[in-house]
Amino acid sequence: MNDLRIINIEKKYNSRLPKNDSAFTLQPIGLTIKEGEFFSLLGPSGCGKTTLLKLVAGLIRADGGEIRMDDFDLTAVPPEDRRFAMVFQKSLLFPHMTVEENVAFGLKMQKVSKKMRLDQARNMLEHVGLQGFGFRHPDELSGGQQQRVALARALVAHPRLLLMDEPFSALDPSLREDMRELLRQIQKEFRVTVLFVTHDREEAFYLSDRIGVMSEGELLQVGTAQNLRDHPDTTKVAAFLGLKNLIEGTVTNGYFSSKLEEFEIPVPHLIEEGSCFLILRPEAIQLMPEGVIPGADAMHIRGEIQQLIFNHGFYIGKLKTANHQLECSFSSQQAKNMAAGQMVDLMISLNDIHIVKK
Amino acid sequence: MNKTSWLTKIILVVVLMLFIGLPFLLLVLSSISFGWQWPNILPESFSFRSWEYVLTGSSDTWRAVGFSLLIAVTVTAVNILLAVPAAKSLVRNQLRAKWLFEAIIFAPIVIPPFVAVMGIHLTFLRLGLTETVLGVVLAHLSPTLPYMVRAVVISYNTLSVDWEDQARMLGAGTISRFYHVVLPHIMPGIAAGASLSILISLSQYLITFIIGSGQVVTLPILLFPFISGGDPAIASAYSLLFAGIAILTLLGMDAALKKYYQKKKTATGKA
Amino acid sequence: MWQKSKPYLLLLPAIGTIVLLFFGGLFDGLLKSFGYFPAIGETRFEAAAYTELLQSSEFWASLVLTLRIAALSSLFAGVLGAIIAISLFLLNESTKSGTSQLWHRLFQLPLTIPHLVGGYIIVLLFMQSGFLSKILATAGIIDEITDFPVLVNDPFGWGIILTYAWKEAPFISLMIYPVLARIHRSWREVARVFGAGSWDFVHEIVLPAILPAWTIATFIVFVFTFSAFEVPFLLGVTYPSVLPVYSYQLYTSGTLADRPEALALNIILAAITILLGIVVYYFSKRWNVLKGWD
Repeated sequence: MNDLRIINIEKKYNSRLPKNDSAFTLQPIGLTIKEGEFFSLLGPSGCGKTTLLKLVAGLIRADGGEIRMDDFDLTAVPPEDRRFAMVFQKSLLFPHMTVEENVAFGLKMQKVSKKMRLDQARNMLEHVGLQGFGFRHPDELSGGQQQRVALARALVAHPRLLLMDEPFSALDPSLREDMRELLRQIQKEFRVTVLFVTHDREEAFYLSDRIGVMSEGELLQVGTAQNLRDHPDTTKVAAFLGLKNLIEGTVTNGYFSSKLEEFEIPVPHLIEEGSCFLILRPEAIQLMPEGVIPGADAMHIRGEIQQLIFNHGFYIGKLKTANHQLECSFSSQQAKNMAAGQMVDLMISLNDIHIVKK
Repeated sequence: MNKTSWLTKIILVVVLMLFIGLPFLLLVLSSISFGWQWPNILPESFSFRSWEYVLTGSSDTWRAVGFSLLIAVTVTAVNILLAVPAAKSLVRNQLRAKWLFEAIIFAPIVIPPFVAVMGIHLTFLRLGLTETVLGVVLAHLSPTLPYMVRAVVISYNTLSVDWEDQARMLGAGTISRFYHVVLPHIMPGIAAGASLSILISLSQYLITFIIGSGQVVTLPILLFPFISGGDPAIASAYSLLFAGIAILTLLGMDAALKKYYQKKKTATGKA
Repeated sequence: MWQKSKPYLLLLPAIGTIVLLFFGGLFDGLLKSFGYFPAIGETRFEAAAYTELLQSSEFWASLVLTLRIAALSSLFAGVLGAIIAISLFLLNESTKSGTSQLWHRLFQLPLTIPHLVGGYIIVLLFMQSGFLSKILATAGIIDEITDFPVLVNDPFGWGIILTYAWKEAPFISLMIYPVLARIHRSWREVARVFGAGSWDFVHEIVLPAILPAWTIATFIVFVFTFSAFEVPFLLGVTYPSVLPVYSYQLYTSGTLADRPEALALNIILAAITILLGIVVYYFSKRWNVLKGWD
């Protein structure tokens, strides 16, 4: 199995440069990425995800830990001998070479004969939708086309691992979506293992088999997109995944009570006592049908609608309850009969409620 | 707009004629004059005798051209070998006492190099380096190297490490990276540095004179007696030749650079 | 270990070369200027060469001459260079880039011409029986060769000053042109909206913009002409001569005994240029010549 294993890798930057005022530390990280998996590192800028990527690439020397693949220790192997490939934020196509030569560069380094490598380069260009562009020079291509070439160049030598460092962040939003789609297809087709770095959670959710959320040099949680959304381990993860409606409170005697004394609900006894956050996912909040009294398995919310915002075919409602600001989503149909200033009754099933330790 | 533009153009043409055209024309006229009495504006008669003397009459000319170019090219080649690694180190690494290294390398731009050459003259004499081409080459290194380093540093500054990292990730080792990625990028810097290095080496008089002790006759050494009171026609012809060689070398460098990139661009052609 | 020392090893050849050939020479000269010269049995240190030098009128005459020539040369070159750069800039605004490129190249020609050739051009133009004198005579303005002022090999140093003005003006324009190139076309339009003519534009916007770069460039020319040898050697007189020529005279014409004096003079010269160099460096950093133009 060509699994990538990252074992307690760590890196400290004691900033000797006066410009980097904060010394940065990457906490020891352990992680296994399976062959053929698409794994994303998600986190805000400066969280160390690019550092981790470069440690895996070998472009930065680790202070401790190991990088292994197929049970071979790669830690001391220079990057050029690891048979990895990398796509950077900028396309970094060599300006003095044609597109074809750029794509063939990796094969040239492997001493593949000229005819063979150019054939393979052309073939790969076709895969990224750039047949016939081989003789052009990089400066004659658009930004999106350049990034396609960069992708082709990275894939042509069949790398054991493809590292991608925010490869689409410099592109226009619409182009970014095209590129996502292309990458997804190609990744499935070539079954290449990908380690992808991004700060865009949409992108990570769309592409990844699994996602690792990073913050301040720490890997916080690893899981599938669904898994992370439904069961974030910490508020940090929840906040970064863009989860709304976090309500601070404490758990005592099997009951959660909010700090501002508005909500009190029973919780499963598995949950440890102490300070925590209650997460109410906007899409789980339901409009209470008229005349229905919520049972013991649901929580009742009453509040005033302050704003209705149209968003991708549904409405986001900003709600003001006694002590909290909440966000919930309504269908167009439901929203039709609502107006700002109106009081509404809502409920959420206790099964949809998630509690995270502080 | 149009009026001012025409005015500036006319001023420029006049200034250019006085500034560049007149001196050049004067040298040409003087070199082919055969007697030019005051106060005639044009020579009485023309002859190519000075050119004949300069180009074919004396073997000294071509020997001097040969020495000058040999020294300039050797100095420049050594400079490139010294400057490229130094520039890389200065740009890419956080060095301790970087200011000191920079001060050392760039000092010969400020302090006149003949000061060092006079100081080292007797040591060179004892080492048997005076009167030799090698000695002159060594003496020419310090006035030229700073410019070469500067030019390459400027080039290196514009090459982000990402390019080299990208090449690494594609499997390129140290030599491949340098040849395929770094060199094409810093080539214009090297060419600019080389041009300066050649120009400065070509026009050194005092340093060459002290270390060469009159035995290593480069163009400036050959030229000097003529322009300080020799035959004006021959002095003019030599001056033109000297200036011509300097300009031709630069143009040649420019053309070579263009060719280098053209070759790079069409390396595969339409195969 | 290798990773840590590698950058220093890369620097070593270049640093070593300069230290050995340049600073070695300076140091060698410094020792000998104090009379320390083991090869001829002199192992004492004495400042005799310095005191003798500082007490001689030749030295002071030479220093004054050098300062005067350097100041006038750099001033003339500065004015001429600024005129060329501004004209090229105005031209560039109104013509195609190809043509103005050619103009640039033509004006840079003097930069590539060796100093000795530049000096000789000035000889041909300005000597008493030179081209200018011939023109004036033909025009009937002067009657005799001796009516034309002595401008070459003259005690004041006019020939040297003219040569440097000619040679270094393109350097000045080359240094300030990048600053000019950053003045946007739109500024000019804004200026016109406010009713500024071409002269106002130059006076109010162009000149203030180039002033820091111009000052630095002119000062660099000053430092260079201060320590240059070839042109004064060709176009100067035997007495007084500029410091580098004086040093050369001491070094070659005298006996071995005069050499410490020449080397002492060199050390003084080097000290002055280092000082001037630091001044240039300080101001170019402080004014950050291109600041605010990005």
